[in-house]
Amino acid sequence: MEKATVVVIGGGATGLGILRDLSMRGVKALLVEKNDLVNGASSRYHGLLHSGGRYAVKDQEAARECIIENQIMRKIGKSCVEPCGGMFTRLDIDDEAYEELWVKGCADSGIEATPITLDEAFKLEPRLSRKHVKSAYLVPDAAVDGFRMAWQLIDSSKRYGGQVKTYTEVIGFDTVNGELRGVKVRNQFTGEEYEIGCDIAVNAAGGWAGFVGKLANVEIGVQPDKGTLIAFNQRIVNHVVNRLHKSSDGDIFVPHGSITILGTSSMSVPDPEDTSTSREEVESLLKIGEETFEDLRDFRILRTFAGSRPLYIPPGGAVGRSASRGFAIVDHEQDGLKGLFTIVGGKFTTYRLMAEKMCNQICAKLNNSTPCRTAEEPLVEEVSQADKDRAKKFFPSYGTNLAATRLGVERFKKVVERLENDPESRELVCECENVTRAEVEEICKDDTSFIVNDVRRRTRIGMGTCQGNFCALRAAAVFADMGVESTAKDSLTRMKEFLQGRWKGIRPVLLGRTIRETEMTRAIYELSMAVRSLEVGVRSYNDTKSTPNSSLLIPNSKTGGESQ
Amino acid sequence: MKTADVIVIGGGLAGFMAAAVAANHGQKVTLLTYGSGSLPLMSGAIDVLGNTETPDTAIKNLPAHHPYKKIGLKNIDSATKFFCDLTSQANLPYVGRLSAQIPIVTAVGTLKHSCLVPESMDASNLVGKKKIFVASIKGLKDFYAEMLVDNLKSHFHDSNFEVAKIDLKLLGGRDITCMDAAQLLTDNEQPLANELKALNASEDDAIILPPILGIMGSFSRSVVKTQLRAEIIETTCLPPSPPGIRLQRAFIRYLQKSDVKVFENSKVVRGVVEDKKVTGVVVENAVREKIFRGKKIILATGGFYSGGIQMREFDNPVEPIFDIPVFFPTGAENWSNQQLFSDKPQGFSMTGIFTNENLNPVNEDGKILFENLHVVGANLGGCDKIFERSAGGIAIASAYKAATI
Repeated sequence: MEKATVVVIGGGATGLGILRDLSMRGVKALLVEKNDLVNGASSRYHGLLHSGGRYAVKDQEAARECIIENQIMRKIGKSCVEPCGGMFTRLDIDDEAYEELWVKGCADSGIEATPITLDEAFKLEPRLSRKHVKSAYLVPDAAVDGFRMAWQLIDSSKRYGGQVKTYTEVIGFDTVNGELRGVKVRNQFTGEEYEIGCDIAVNAAGGWAGFVGKLANVEIGVQPDKGTLIAFNQRIVNHVVNRLHKSSDGDIFVPHGSITILGTSSMSVPDPEDTSTSREEVESLLKIGEETFEDLRDFRILRTFAGSRPLYIPPGGAVGRSASRGFAIVDHEQDGLKGLFTIVGGKFTTYRLMAEKMCNQICAKLNNSTPCRTAEEPLVEEVSQADKDRAKKFFPSYGTNLAATRLGVERFKKVVERLENDPESRELVCECENVTRAEVEEICKDDTSFIVNDVRRRTRIGMGTCQGNFCALRAAAVFADMGVESTAKDSLTRMKEFLQGRWKGIRPVLLGRTIRETEMTRAIYELSMAVRSLEVGVRSYNDTKSTPNSSLLIPNSKTGGESQ
Repeated sequence: MKTADVIVIGGGLAGFMAAAVAANHGQKVTLLTYGSGSLPLMSGAIDVLGNTETPDTAIKNLPAHHPYKKIGLKNIDSATKFFCDLTSQANLPYVGRLSAQIPIVTAVGTLKHSCLVPESMDASNLVGKKKIFVASIKGLKDFYAEMLVDNLKSHFHDSNFEVAKIDLKLLGGRDITCMDAAQLLTDNEQPLANELKALNASEDDAIILPPILGIMGSFSRSVVKTQLRAEIIETTCLPPSPPGIRLQRAFIRYLQKSDVKVFENSKVVRGVVEDKKVTGVVVENAVREKIFRGKKIILATGGFYSGGIQMREFDNPVEPIFDIPVFFPTGAENWSNQQLFSDKPQGFSMTGIFTNENLNPVNEDGKILFENLHVVGANLGGCDKIFERSAGGIAIASAYKAATI
């Protein structure tokens, strides 16, 4: 039987933080994740590294934690953080009295909030509404790339012996006399079930923590709280722009590379798997966003997405926006199960601190007195200038640094070698995000790449302007060629599944130029590539399904027609 | 400024076809284009109705509001003949007829069926081939011979497949597309011919290639073909698509010969309307506005892809030039399907203008809005042309009818 001292359940930021922390303290740890890594709230969020300003009035403890972790993250995860800075703007419709409370709250929490004149604000953020914005402050917010942070956490953990198994779902716990012996898991692709022996297991399953708890017959107060976000195809803001009012929906804009993310809503949902988004949610976010940026609708929307915050609900506690963004650690020895812990709640910005506190408790149990070092040691070594210079001969210059931070020292070296030795690998698989074939080949070979989406999350293929129109075919072909998993060979299925994944986020925002992109996707794949097989002669046009229903179509009464 | 007999707005397949047919019927034609249309995106084949084995009979059974029902089978037939004559004169012969479908091989190794197919893509004779070579061209992007073979094999169990490595010395820079290769091979076919000859393929074999056989009609293909015993067949490819561009060029040459006045980069912003007639259109360029006068106006600005129909807010699609009412399905559930590649039409794709039998735009009550304005191609609503694979057929047939009315 496979064995580890600690099994960490859940491949989000918290779980990965725990894996790294334990591995660095010399504890043999293995992480299992039922899907791909950072598939829940750790990637389905703003990508905002909070200064704490958002919590300065409501929850000063959280605010203080944020500003401290914010500084640490900039240091250890340099290449994951874009230090763009943040701005809080109060609009004419917002409560003036709140501004005073907020300024005081920031001062009390140790967050530097610098007032600036409106002229300065409009100079820094030219698209801000001249009509509505009444005051502005600068704060040390930043943008953070959750995907990149995750791969770097893994690279760091692996260096210290940490192990990761993706697409491995926990299906039960093995206990003897109230003491944990192991975790039962199932491989999502092969269906194979087996047990991993361990002394301790940590339930860090985020929104799924309640389900994992049930497998051990323990009750966990976690409420999945769905937040919907919109990604725009342009960099609309230079800073993270927050509304200076009591936290509400749709009031934060975060710039990431060449895009901007607007969010979010807050809605309690029964199922953390519910990442559906609707036209109504999009409409409501746009309406609020327009108050700060009046020309918001002129920007092309790339897609919309949603994730579930795992809000911790103590017995009798509040839900939704009023629920604490704090976190809780539960030792289930109190429930009669020795060896199982649950960590729930919190937020991405403070994942490291959560992991540290969790690991302190675990190490106390294991009589391991090694101190936590995750706040001091950078996640990854930096790629050397010499390697970057080698790469620059073949990489689009804009892409070199991005790829270097994405890939890390070792993989970057391998990719550069490919580029040097195989001229054909220099072509771009994804023009939008500047991803070379060499990089895609290298990631396809990885034992965590089961479907093209796994390759997407690691390389960013398909995440840019064209949303997979061109790279879907190329990625499926390279994956079929290089992939080590048996799932790789079925290129048509992989290609369609990849495009369907993109479609999920496009559908609720299917208007404006986004429709145009979709028509292009369909023209390429349905017409030129005929991926939807018809078996001519088998299906007749008179099938009810394929007959267009004209009663669905009504004329647009908002247009004139005759009245020219 | 002289008044044209016909003003065609739009330089896609429908606009080109309308201008060509009108000119052929002795009309003085002005063609206003903006952007490159959707031809560089298309496979090269003209799909008339892809969901059926015999499009001609299936068209008869279409619902009354379908564009084909307004156009009529006779016009579809005449359009097909006109198209085949035009392309054959341009040395870009097409094969096919309305009563059957011809298979073509796609870049991913599936089979696509279409009515009118460039001769170079006709894969009817692949059945029974002893050996099928698939050319893997070193340095060419977007063509993955191994994947193609893996998928195509399932359709041809009795043939042996071989990936043939071909080196045309394309490497140097990065990213050579099929379009680049087609351009390089135009008037420089011998390196490819030599590589293919070396395969020693017999009459019983076939060679499948990406669509790189030149960009001028079928000239390059003939040069290569005469040196080989085996059949050579081109596939589709990711855009920009040489077969689509060959067709675009064939039309442009025809229009030049026919004295059609083509004004490029001419964005039509509105119409000049007098007494339910469009007497002219206003074109906006960088410096000023200009009015073009015409007796008949053909609107061929396309659907959502080309901007002939636009939608900035949900449930509010518009036709931006004449503000013609656009028919569309309301509500999120009807707007699109859960699956991108769905087993039913996509609502947003059925969005468009409704017309009478003369292709004049109509309102909800069926009332004609402009007597001398005719709507063609992807502007027409009422069917999902991608789902039913009818975009090309509707484009040429509606254009033919509008031009001959």
